Amino acid sequence: MMRNLFLRKPSLWPRFHVTVAKSLEGRKKAEVIELEVPMTDGMRDIQNAVLECVEVSIGELRKADTGLELDDWTLDSALHRSFDVIIRRQLDPIWHRVSFRTRQIVNDLTVLRSILQALLTYDAVSFNKYLDTILAAHQPPPGSTRQNQSPWLFLDAANTVFETAKRRVYSGKPTEGEVPASANAFPDSLRPILEEQPKWSLLAEVLEEIEQDNYLNPVPRDDSNSTILIMCSDQGTCRQLREYLQNMHVHPAEDLQEEDDEERKPSAMFMMRRKLRNYLGWKKDFARVSASLFAENQKVLDGFTDQRGNTNGYRGKGPPNKRRRIRGGASSAGAGRPINGSLQMAEDKESQVASLMADIQPTDADAMQKDEVAVDSLDDMEDYFELYDMNDLLVIHPYDGDMDEHVLEEVRPRYVIMYEPDAAFIRRVEVYRSSHEDRNVRVYFMYYGGSVEEQRYLSAVRKEKDAFTKLIKEKGNMALTITLDGAAPTDPQEQFLRTVNTRIAGGGRLAATAEPPRVVVDVREFRSSLPSLLHGRSMVVIPCMLTVGDYVLTPTICIERKSVRDLISSFKNGRLFNQAETMLQYYKHPMLLIEFDRDKSFTLDPFADNSFEKSIKSAEDSRDLQSKIVLLTIAFPRLKIIWSSSPYQTAEIFAELKNKQDEPDPVKAVQVGLGMGEDPYEQQSFNTTPQDMLRAVPGLTGKNMMRLILEVGDLREVSNLGEAELDEMVGREAGRQVYRFFNRSVFDE
Amino acid sequence: QALPNRSGPSAILVSPRQKGNPILNNVRSLPWEYSDIPADFVLGATTCCLFLSLKYHRLHPEYIYNRIRNLGHLYNLRVLLTMVDITNHEEPLKELSKTSMVNNLTLILCWSAQEAGRYLELYKSYEHASPTSIKAHQSTSYRDKLVEFVTTPRSINTTDATSLISAFGSIRAAVNARPEEIGMIPGWGEKKVQRWCQTVDEPFRVRK
Repeated sequence: MMRNLFLRKPSLWPRFHVTVAKSLEGRKKAEVIELEVPMTDGMRDIQNAVLECVEVSIGELRKADTGLELDDWTLDSALHRSFDVIIRRQLDPIWHRVSFRTRQIVNDLTVLRSILQALLTYDAVSFNKYLDTILAAHQPPPGSTRQNQSPWLFLDAANTVFETAKRRVYSGKPTEGEVPASANAFPDSLRPILEEQPKWSLLAEVLEEIEQDNYLNPVPRDDSNSTILIMCSDQGTCRQLREYLQNMHVHPAEDLQEEDDEERKPSAMFMMRRKLRNYLGWKKDFARVSASLFAENQKVLDGFTDQRGNTNGYRGKGPPNKRRRIRGGASSAGAGRPINGSLQMAEDKESQVASLMADIQPTDADAMQKDEVAVDSLDDMEDYFELYDMNDLLVIHPYDGDMDEHVLEEVRPRYVIMYEPDAAFIRRVEVYRSSHEDRNVRVYFMYYGGSVEEQRYLSAVRKEKDAFTKLIKEKGNMALTITLDGAAPTDPQEQFLRTVNTRIAGGGRLAATAEPPRVVVDVREFRSSLPSLLHGRSMVVIPCMLTVGDYVLTPTICIERKSVRDLISSFKNGRLFNQAETMLQYYKHPMLLIEFDRDKSFTLDPFADNSFEKSIKSAEDSRDLQSKIVLLTIAFPRLKIIWSSSPYQTAEIFAELKNKQDEPDPVKAVQVGLGMGEDPYEQQSFNTTPQDMLRAVPGLTGKNMMRLILEVGDLREVSNLGEAELDEMVGREAGRQVYRFFNRSVFDE
Repeated sequence: QALPNRSGPSAILVSPRQKGNPILNNVRSLPWEYSDIPADFVLGATTCCLFLSLKYHRLHPEYIYNRIRNLGHLYNLRVLLTMVDITNHEEPLKELSKTSMVNNLTLILCWSAQEAGRYLELYKSYEHASPTSIKAHQSTSYRDKLVEFVTTPRSINTTDATSLISAFGSIRAAVNARPEEIGMIPGWGEKKVQRWCQTVDEPFRVRK
């Protein structure tokens, strides 16, 4: 790296270097106040349980024995920020070979990690909501026999997670089967708990302290404009805090008796209650959604189309008889499922019923409050970007990498509250402080004691230190490279090119044509390294918009390049079949290039995770890659397959294939596959992702999808089209399907 | 799509010259029998297969060309099943790619005798199969479609799809939602929101 930068002597300035430390300290000793917030019991329980799940998942991975270095995958590293990314990267070279189960476990790890993160940032209600969603998404489709549920869901610990999360929101849940009857009789056995995030109250205290501080001993005016800057990790947290700060002095005044005595204390009660109301409404809908989505065959909940019209919140004011009907439907849905795999689900259904009970209590109780404030605050939430004028003194901002410096410069805060620890930001504050001697900065710093958050911060600091130590050591015993001058490095490359040039030209090519070899390449292919490698082999690369194929080597040879990952996905969505079809139509030698990555293993054979699985696999699994390749070649006997272990190899093969062949005609290549009257230069390039999404829409096939793409601007427009307009474009039946797909409401089913 | 019943033997035909080839031990689920044929294996009425181990190829590079010449223009689908059992496979594979084009062979690589046997079995058992499973696959249920639709942009997963739809009710509403609204759903971080909105707003065609 140093050679590329033309650096002779690197100098390192770690922050523990004396001069650096001195200049950072500045003249004034800055005030940093660390606040360690204890987690609540519920949070700690959840965290421990999730960590247990992580540990078990890792154990599973280790059992699967994929031939990876698993030694450093311990619980400790689970606290690390990019833990799952690291595993993924390790698995990447053999990703197409690992078994379904291993892949699933890796996915689970990602989910678990996001739960950990959510635990600390989300409020209790949203956290529970998030968990519900995860649970629902992981349900196996009804009637499926495959044992494909994630292993961690079966653990006791997972149960603890869900239970505790629920308890943080409300308690008094009817425990088992016989209780619902009695719970029905005493509906107030359900009591909202609404645990607050401990940091909230602390934040309120800190703000109060600052206020007092300002009032009691006003600091002489200095350069900083006494702003309070609150830094947190993302927009979501920002919004949450903002809402909290707005509402913390609003109290549900007359309804809750236990609230009356501590009227003055700031609390998130109001916000949480509103959230809970929304949540319960959501939950009710969600029961319906999951019923219609995940058990489509059971259309039990069909009488509920009213009540959702009212604008803000899905407030359920259903009369008791309706509730009873839901309950019946829900439990029958639970019973209809295969019992063995869905213990969780059945229980969840039960608790959904319970939550429906709880529903009516708070809604009626603070209906008045809600009507007063809800409209207002909802508006705030909508365009919260305009909220700055609400209070000049308070700015809440998420960490945003390098932009933080500008934020500091612009806001010029007197007080900085770091709602979540972020090592990089501390450094920035240090720099800010020392570069403006005349400004007073006081930093409050909050973290949950004994939490993942704390661990993560500490390990970040440690890593920083380690990195510097390593760099210094490295510098100590680095060999000094002295390059002669700037011209030297480029020279050999040119020479190399020249030799390649002569070799190809001399190899009998002279007889055929004097032109340099030419390859027509689809513009979309330029994201891969192959075109530049071809160029490196002194072929002329002509970028074009190709409708058929990716590379055209000669007038008869057309090549579709697929990396292994592409291959799997395009087998899955059938694109490869269509591509092969069109290639066959227009070229004499259509070819499929299967390109492996250089550092990935060069084989398709899946790992045998254990012998048991292997025997099953050979018996029934007809979905693997090999059988698909076989099917493809049977369907298209003329399609040739090129196997290449790396892009370099591909370039070699291309050169070999082109040897003594005519050069392709780019104009003809572009025109191939276009319909009559379509001007190739009119044809513009397409964005692929929205197209892929359209492909998932029922009723749309190649032809009418193309029509739709040409006629309509973007996806949003498509979704807003009326049935009649769609009719016109894609045909009656398809139009109906598309319209239904976009407009079907999951609440109605 | 499947070709109308052409009579073909129900077993894999094996040329006697393949006697002792370890891959025969791995053809277990289908019967095979020796027969006097120009190719190494006959896997269907129009399908034949030549087997080549790269190790052997390195020693006798002319062997495979003789075999191809003897094969002439028989058969419609001619598979060259190549076992990669040497490490420096680049050069021979390059050569074989070229050969396969010139001689109308379909190159299939395998890395073990097991895999080779499996290929033979697959070719035979799919002889009359129609390629539906690799055609555009139509998932039937609304839920599958929906999840597939929502998860197409990168980094959005099934959980997110569920929460999105449960929050907005219909896809149309979700597509028309503003970024701030989507950001309020648990699990939807900024990156996901941004990616989703970008995809939805992105014009199908790039204007030049």
